[in-house]
Amino acid sequence: MTKHGLVIDQERCIGCQACAVSCKQENNVPMGQFWNRVLTEGGEKMDTPSGGYPEDGGSGSLDMQYQPTACQHCENAPCVKVCPVNATYTRDDGIVEIDYDKCIGCRYCMAACPYNARVFNWDEPEHMPEEGTGDVEARPQGVVEKCTFCSHRVDEGLDPACVVNCPADARIFGDLDDESSTVSKYIDKYETDQLLEDRGTDPNTYYISGEMSPGRPQTSDKMESELDDVSPWSDGDDDVPSKEADSAGGESSGSSHSVEGGEIPYATPAKSGGDD
Amino acid sequence: MAANTGSSRVAIPSFGGKGKLWIGLLVALMAAGIAAWGYQLTTGLIATGMRNVFSWGLYIMMFVLFVGLSAGGLIISSAPKFFHSHRYEGFARLGVLVSLACIIVAGLLILPDIGRPGRLYQFFTSPDFRSPMVWDFGIVLLYGLLNLWYLWLLTRRDLAARGSSLALGFKDTEAGRDRDRTLMFWTAAVALPTAVALHSVTGWIFATQVGRGDWFSPLVAPVFIAKALVSGLGLLLIVSVLADRYTNFEVDREELTSLGKILGIFLAFHVVYLLAAERLPHAWADHFEFWAIMSNFLIGDSVYFWLWTVVGGAVPLAMLALPPLRKRVSVIFTASVLAVVGTMFEGIRLVFTGYEVANIDSAPGISLGGEYTGITTDIWATAGAYTPTLVEIAVTLGIIAFGAFIVTLGLKYVPIQRVDAELSYATDGGKQDQ
Repeated sequence: MTKHGLVIDQERCIGCQACAVSCKQENNVPMGQFWNRVLTEGGEKMDTPSGGYPEDGGSGSLDMQYQPTACQHCENAPCVKVCPVNATYTRDDGIVEIDYDKCIGCRYCMAACPYNARVFNWDEPEHMPEEGTGDVEARPQGVVEKCTFCSHRVDEGLDPACVVNCPADARIFGDLDDESSTVSKYIDKYETDQLLEDRGTDPNTYYISGEMSPGRPQTSDKMESELDDVSPWSDGDDDVPSKEADSAGGESSGSSHSVEGGEIPYATPAKSGGDD
Repeated sequence: MAANTGSSRVAIPSFGGKGKLWIGLLVALMAAGIAAWGYQLTTGLIATGMRNVFSWGLYIMMFVLFVGLSAGGLIISSAPKFFHSHRYEGFARLGVLVSLACIIVAGLLILPDIGRPGRLYQFFTSPDFRSPMVWDFGIVLLYGLLNLWYLWLLTRRDLAARGSSLALGFKDTEAGRDRDRTLMFWTAAVALPTAVALHSVTGWIFATQVGRGDWFSPLVAPVFIAKALVSGLGLLLIVSVLADRYTNFEVDREELTSLGKILGIFLAFHVVYLLAAERLPHAWADHFEFWAIMSNFLIGDSVYFWLWTVVGGAVPLAMLALPPLRKRVSVIFTASVLAVVGTMFEGIRLVFTGYEVANIDSAPGISLGGEYTGITTDIWATAGAYTPTLVEIAVTLGIIAFGAFIVTLGLKYVPIQRVDAELSYATDGGKQDQ
C-alpha cells in the first residue's frame, strides 16, 4: 500500500511563501482564500520575531520560526468522519480529498478540522486572471475546498506544486509506507512532530525541528517513486526533469535547486505570456 | 356519539380583529424571511456574518435552541401518560403542538445554512453513517413524525366527533377511544427515549469534535437534555399563558404553579448543578491557590455566560423559588421567558467557544474568504468573530414566524383541550363518564 505523506523541515524553511503562492496558482484557489499558508511563530505579525533586539539594552532573545500549514491529511481525519454525504473521503493512498459534486456545503468539516485547513466559497469564486490558473477546475460557490496534496499531479507521478517550488528544499513528499523513502528515513532519523498531536488525528504531515535535514534530495518535478534511480540519496544523475513534466505545468519548475557533482543546471525555458 | 361533541374545545373558534392582525404579522415576517433567503441564495452565504474561521452562526445557534424547545411539550404530555397519570392533562395537546412546531422550525433552520441546498438529496443517496449529522437528520425526522402522529392520536376521536376531515375517516367510538388510550401509552413509551436521543445526538454533533475547544466534552449531551427540559418547559408555560389570555384555551392555575415549580427544579439542576460540575475540574486543575480556584470556578468570562447564568438562571430560579412570588402567573411567565432567553444565550456561547479561538493562531492566520463585516479590512484573521447580518436575522425570524403560524393554526383547527379532561385520558382503562 502507498501512504502519501509530507515532511516539512522547519529549519530549512525561509518563509518565502513560494509554497503558498504556487499552491494558489496550481490549484486555481479563489481570491481571498488560501489552501496553504506560511505562518510566523514568533511576533504578532507575519515575519516578525518575538523577544527583544540584542543591542541597546535589549534582551537579545529574538526568536522566530515558520510554520507552513495546509491540510495535514490525517489518518484519523475528523473531517472525513463528520461529512454526512461522503463528499470528503480518504483515498486508498492516504490523501484526503473532496468530491465537489457531492458537497452540500454544510461546513461540518470546517468545524471538525482542528487546523482550519478548509475554506468555504462564500460567494461566486473570483480568479485572477478571470479564466483561472493552473491545472485544476474551479470549484463552485457553496462548497468547501482544501489542499489535495495536488492529487492531480501525484496521479501523474509528480510531486505536489508546493514541494517542487520550495527553493529551500524544505518540503519532502513521499510514501510513508515505504521504509526506504526519504520521508520515512527523515521521520526515523530526525526529531519530527505532527501538528496538534494530542488531538489524535494522526496527520500524514510531519515537521522537522531542531536539527536541519539535507532537505529534498532531487531536482525533478517527479515523485521519488517515479525516478529511475530509486535511491533518495542519489547525487542527481537521474534527476534531470523530463520534458513531459515540464509541459504539464508551466508554473512549476525544479530549476532553483542547488546542484552538486558538476551537473549542468537545468532552467525552465521562459514561456510566452509567462506566470505572474 | 354526538354526546362527545361538546366535550372538547378548540382554542380559536374564529379569528377576530386581533387574530387577523396576528396572522398578518406572521405572514409579513414569513414573506420577509423568504425574500431574505432568496437574496442569500443568489449572493451566497457571503450575505451572512459567517466566514472561514467562524463558519457556523445564527442558524445553527437557533437550531440548537429550537431542538431544545421541542422537548418540553412532548415530555410534559407523554411522561404522565407513561405513568398512567392524568396530571397536566390540560397541557398535553398544546404541548405536543408546540413541540411539533419547534422541531419543524429547527429542521427548517438548517436549510439556509446549507451552501448548496440543491444537493441535499445526497443525504439519501450517499450517507456516511459515521457522521453525527446523519444521526441527527434521522432523529429530527423521526421526532417530527412522532409529534405529528401523537398530536393526531390525541385528538382524532375529538376531531371525528366534531366532524372534522382531519380525523381522516376515523370514528368517535368508545372502543376506538379505549384502543387509542393503549396506543397513547405505547407512543409515550417510544416518545420519551426518542426525546432523550434527539437531544443527546444534537449534543454529540458538538461533543465529538476535538478541534473546537469546550465542545469536546462528554457533558455536552447531558447538558443538552437539561437545557431542553428548561427551555422546552419554559416555552410551554409561555405559550399556555398567552393562549389562556388571548384564546379560549384555559390554564389550570394549580397545574401551572406546579409546572412552574418543576421549571425551578430543572433550572437548579441545569444552571447550578451541571454548570458547576462542568467548571470545577478545570478550575481546580488550572489553578493553585484556593481563591484562584474559586474565582475561576464561579466567575465566567463572556457576556453570554452572564446572560445565561444570571439573567437566564439565577433570576428565574429565585422567582420560582420564593413562596410569595411563585404562584403568580406573571412571575411564572417572566421566569419562563428568562429561562428560554438564557438557554438561547447558552447555545450562542457554545458556538462562540468553538470558533472564537483558533488552535493555530500564528500570523497572518486563516484566510477568511471575504471580510468580517466591519471588523477587519483584510482577508486574514487569527481569531473568530461573528455578528449576524440582517439577512440572517430576517430568515431566522421568518422561520420562527412559520412555527408560530403552525401553533396558531393548531389552536384554530385542533381540539386543544377536553372540557372533561380529568376523566377522559386515564390510560389505565378508566372509562369515560358522560
